[in-house]
Amino acid sequence: MQLNQKKPAINIKAALTIATSALLGTVPAIANAANDSTTVTKAQLESAWDFESAFLYYSEGDRVSAAEAIISARKTFANDEVLNLKLTIDSLTGASANGAAAQPNVQTFTRPSGKGSYQTKAGETPLDDTFKDTRVQLNAQWTQPLAANYTGSAGVHISKEYDYLSLGINGNLAYDFNQKNSTFSVGLSYFQDSFKPEGGIPLAFASMPLAYGNDSDTDNSVNKAGFDATRRTDSDDKTTADIMLGFTQVINRRMVMQFNYSYSKVDGYLNDPFKVLSLVNSEGITQDYLYENRPDTRVKQSLFAQTKYHFEQNVIDVSYRYMWDDWEISSHTIDTRLRIPLSSSSYIEPHLRFYQQSAAEFYQPFLAQANSMPEFASADYRIGEMSAYTVGLKYGMKLSDGNDLSFRLEYYRQDPKNSGHLAPDALANVDLYESVDAIIAQVSYSF
Amino acid sequence: MKINSFNRNSFSANLASRTVKCSLFSAVIILVSGCSSLGVQPWERDLLAKEEMALTSSPIDSALDDHIYFSKEASSGGKSFGGGGCGCN
Amino acid sequence: MNKRSVRNIEVTVTDDGHSICFDAMASPCEVLVASNDSKLALTLGRLIADEVWRIEDKYSRYQPTSVCSAINNSRGKSIPIDQETYLLLNFADTCYQLSEGVFDITSGVLQKIWQFDGSSNIPCAAEVKKSLENIGWLNVSFDEQYIIMPENMEVDFGGIGKEYAVDRAMIIANEFTELPVLVNLGGDLAANKPRKVNVPWQVGIEHPGFIERKPMVVSLLQGALATSGDAKRFLLKDNVRYSHILNAKTGWPIVQAPRSITVVAPQCIQAGILATLALMQGAQAESFLTEQEIKFWAIR
Repeated sequence: MQLNQKKPAINIKAALTIATSALLGTVPAIANAANDSTTVTKAQLESAWDFESAFLYYSEGDRVSAAEAIISARKTFANDEVLNLKLTIDSLTGASANGAAAQPNVQTFTRPSGKGSYQTKAGETPLDDTFKDTRVQLNAQWTQPLAANYTGSAGVHISKEYDYLSLGINGNLAYDFNQKNSTFSVGLSYFQDSFKPEGGIPLAFASMPLAYGNDSDTDNSVNKAGFDATRRTDSDDKTTADIMLGFTQVINRRMVMQFNYSYSKVDGYLNDPFKVLSLVNSEGITQDYLYENRPDTRVKQSLFAQTKYHFEQNVIDVSYRYMWDDWEISSHTIDTRLRIPLSSSSYIEPHLRFYQQSAAEFYQPFLAQANSMPEFASADYRIGEMSAYTVGLKYGMKLSDGNDLSFRLEYYRQDPKNSGHLAPDALANVDLYESVDAIIAQVSYSF
Repeated sequence: MKINSFNRNSFSANLASRTVKCSLFSAVIILVSGCSSLGVQPWERDLLAKEEMALTSSPIDSALDDHIYFSKEASSGGKSFGGGGCGCN
Repeated sequence: MNKRSVRNIEVTVTDDGHSICFDAMASPCEVLVASNDSKLALTLGRLIADEVWRIEDKYSRYQPTSVCSAINNSRGKSIPIDQETYLLLNFADTCYQLSEGVFDITSGVLQKIWQFDGSSNIPCAAEVKKSLENIGWLNVSFDEQYIIMPENMEVDFGGIGKEYAVDRAMIIANEFTELPVLVNLGGDLAANKPRKVNVPWQVGIEHPGFIERKPMVVSLLQGALATSGDAKRFLLKDNVRYSHILNAKTGWPIVQAPRSITVVAPQCIQAGILATLALMQGAQAESFLTEQEIKFWAIR
């Protein structure tokens, strides 16, 4: 019957209906079923929206705590186009290290706004407790097949905080070959960020000014003028351009690997306006606090390799990243997860992550009066020598309605290290490289 | 391929990292050239098709982790874009 | 149907009822019933599973004690058959007539030379021609009491057995209860009525072989769905994809067929045959169904 249709085509449906009634012994509502089966049966193609949501709580105990909520929606259209929309909201409160060194005496710091001050006890790492911020982020990503074996993707990003705005675009092209066992991809992304911190942007290496109150007495207006003199401008911005080359290879039925090379160039205002350095005398006693100064450009590169292997039951995920940049920071990251099914509908997944970075060439925990001023300096421990690890466990289950629910609990520890800076007397007895502990708890639900 | 000029200073300064890069790249190239013998037939994708075998099996977890480590460490990206995006760093 | 799986059923509580799972015909099977009564669900599940296993035992060509094996080992002698077998043979006869011989339940012998293991093992033309000598529904004679299967010929109910089981299960469910029930035997499925008033059943249809694709979700008020496809079973040679759907007249696979077709019909066996007949149209599969005003989804 391939092409020559001797019989009117409609007969097939009617004839089958009669034959089916005969077979099943059902009362043949023949005419009805044959002519109007679609009223009996109504079905529709519905690649409905898939939602994933998560709530995460991050706490460093006496330091920063953050809550972050994500909801991500995904819809696949008829020709395999995929639209992904994501909304992220997070809120940050608490204290973070301001860069100054601990001292044998109480220290007083001006808040970044200039309005008021805060104190740090003797022997403790100075923490700025001013931080309070809420951020809203929106992402949209469109992915579609372009031609045989080519997939294209484009996306936009917007993130808004009280004092920060980030706009981004990205594009990606992937080429599958070798029966889709191999994939090359190239991606580009560009971000334009602008930063308008409370209290403005301080001059590089300016001394931290005195605080001023809200009352308009003479002292205050003098102090306000002094504060303003340390400010360069209200806001500043930076751009980030990334290019990423990727290669994915299916090794065998159980194993897949991925390799990425990324090149990232950041230009613009790269300082943290809230971070200072202690200027100490030969005894190690702080004489002044100076705002940090970093280069206005940074080129980062990284190589990333990941492999996944499916054992009889378990799935292991191991990845390694080597990153290096022209600030002379280099880092190694190893991340590994093992997914262990507990039943057909639940699993646990232990997670281990190790991280180690070397210090930026201009990182120093404090400035010494005896030395000449460097061109750049920052005491931000996050660009100093450091190692860190994360230990975590995730438990996931499929609910009876097919939705997924999972819980994740992790412990993250950072151990900043001395990269060869000799500490004068007073500083020798305080902890310049205080460890940071954090707990991460997360609940995810997809529906 | 023709190499016209060579910046000697930068070459010697970056020799170590270049060696690392070269060896990693050649590893990738060997993999690419050997890949025609690697891989599976379409009907052997039963395990690879499982959600847990996707390279990013939980995009939400990855996004949250990236945000944490981006704001707490000097490195970012690698697996995906590590660009700007927030004032947390 | 090549190995007999463990025969037990598993009942779980779902949002608005119960789910009963079991394995049959080499597929995962599921019965959904919109009732909170666990005892009722268990009883219904047992009834349906027993019926599906009964059909598997009776018509599997891999089970030596099956009616199918008895017919195939009859060496040309007349074999008594019962009413059910007669009706199935009659249905197969209609399909043969409607497809003008492309669908033929005696074409199973072709499976011996066509190994759809994804390799490039294309049998030679002579082998195919030799197999064709043992194919031909018109050489089989049967009536309500007996069947005579010529020697070296075989019958295979594989193309209709599972869909038939879905419809039989639905009949049993309707005799047992008026509650909404959905029976899903490895992707071929039927529902007797909407899950709730005007609330359709949500059914995920798997597309094996399409790794990037999530299961297609279909909402079904009532009626049946069946899928025919070759997502995993095909041969590939010189960039020509040979589907596992064979043309019984030529002995060769259909080329240019969609990889998978899902058809909607009042009964599952109708849906299944329509999907198979459509695949047999090769490149014209979609237009064949469109002309018949049949609701379907095809994947190429």
